[in-house]
Amino acid sequence: MQPEPANIKGFPQSRVPIDDAALLEKWRWGDSAAMEELILKYQNRIFNVILKICANIDDAAELTQETFVKIIQGIDKFEGKSSFYTWAFRIAVNLTLNYCQRNARIGFQSLDADDYENHPSTGSGQACPFDGLRAGSERGRRVLKELLSDNKSPDPAVVAQNKELCDIVVKSLMKLDNAQKTVIILRDIEGMNYAQIAKVLDIELGTVRSRLSRGRSRLREIMEAIAG
Amino acid sequence: MNRGDDSIDELLNSYIDGELTQKQQMEVSRLITDDDQIARRLRDLQKCKMLVACLPHAQAPALGSVPAFAGTEDRRQRTEDSNPSSVLRRPVRRVLPVAAMIAIMAVVTAVIYSIFAPQDTADRSTPGTAAAAGFSGKLELTTSDLTAVDAFINRAIRDNELSDCVRTASLADRRVYSFSGGRDAVNLLLADLATIWERFGSATLMVETPKFSEQVVLGSVTAEQVAQIVKQEHQEKAIRMAKDFAVLNKMAELLPGKEMLAAAGEKKPSLITIPKPVLTGDGKTAKKPAPPGADTKEVELTIVVAAGK
Repeated sequence: MQPEPANIKGFPQSRVPIDDAALLEKWRWGDSAAMEELILKYQNRIFNVILKICANIDDAAELTQETFVKIIQGIDKFEGKSSFYTWAFRIAVNLTLNYCQRNARIGFQSLDADDYENHPSTGSGQACPFDGLRAGSERGRRVLKELLSDNKSPDPAVVAQNKELCDIVVKSLMKLDNAQKTVIILRDIEGMNYAQIAKVLDIELGTVRSRLSRGRSRLREIMEAIAG
Repeated sequence: MNRGDDSIDELLNSYIDGELTQKQQMEVSRLITDDDQIARRLRDLQKCKMLVACLPHAQAPALGSVPAFAGTEDRRQRTEDSNPSSVLRRPVRRVLPVAAMIAIMAVVTAVIYSIFAPQDTADRSTPGTAAAAGFSGKLELTTSDLTAVDAFINRAIRDNELSDCVRTASLADRRVYSFSGGRDAVNLLLADLATIWERFGSATLMVETPKFSEQVVLGSVTAEQVAQIVKQEHQEKAIRMAKDFAVLNKMAELLPGKEMLAAAGEKKPSLITIPKPVLTGDGKTAKKPAPPGADTKEVELTIVVAAGK
């Protein structure tokens, strides 16, 4: 007997959030909608982490696609020893960092680095490496300066709406080395706890603490230098 | 910054991130209250964290609509013009669609390997267990030209001498062909169906699983995929293959391969063709032999052709 169309996919559609393990199990039993749900659940988050690491929207989109290809290809090998969440982000972060390293090795440098190298004053030993940033975002720098010097906590909504300021923060992030930048992004943008970050990056908890601490200090220094 | 500062910073960052034990938290709170310098440092770090956390979240582009893949040349041009680094990375981006295609090909290869892998290996892996044999499923097709398709299928049934294997039923807006017979026999029918596959607006295969009321649903299925699934001797392998094809077809929807193939003038990836038996020899055979396996009931396939776009 053929089942009713509503049961064709095998599992009833539910509005209650289903955890990743249950979705994976459903997918293994042939429910292709379960993988779709997992992709929908994580594509924006993975895309945002990748985007903040590589700072190029096209690269981020491509790397996000590649991440999901790898997830689908490797899902049979996923034994559930870690959570799907950390496993998926591990794939995404590894792909992105490898991509960044490859680009760096073959000489593709970021826009900011180009600005710095092409800057007429570079080489004098006294030039500020952030001059390139200063030129185009005077208003953003002013806001940043006020923010950093003010004793009050800034309003997140105001910060988020200030495009110039956000651009400076993104470019400041890009000045960090990949290890520190990735930890900060996973913590402050993706909202992972230290243990999850340690799993994603396959590093010790203490390393997460130190990278995050040094990264934030360095970021602060970079932003202060930009603000002038 | 000295080692002590590093330790205090780590402690303050852990405090901000809520990664301290209750006792540690109380100690840090006391430290902040007692020491203005530490309190100021905490504010600095909090601002730093907040600035990063406040960065707007971008919406991921729909998978498959990435400019580099989608062929929207002007949009890509704009992006590249506005970002010199993109120009530098262009060769890399050119390589990525190929990489995505390679990934798809890898999955296809895995599927094909699972089909052509030595049988004895698979059999050895489950010693003493008799895997469920036979295939049972339903193939749902829609066409805007039901009458012509019906006529074609009936002729195919007649020409391939499958009348004993197929029961047909005509409803107002659909035709039902219930096939029950051997794998080679159904292959003949599918080989003929493949020649008119482009006439079908949609094609969905539902493969029965051992679990009651559970099926593997394979959308946008091709005749070749149906033939490969049906050909499997064990139900378990057929189900696994149906799942693989389901992923492939989904990927074809999501990934750039579809656009790339469309741009190249192809309709669909078709790496497998249905081998239709051909008569060889001197051609003196008076009577066309019954298809091999026509008398066995290895395959139960209900083909429903419905009127529609």
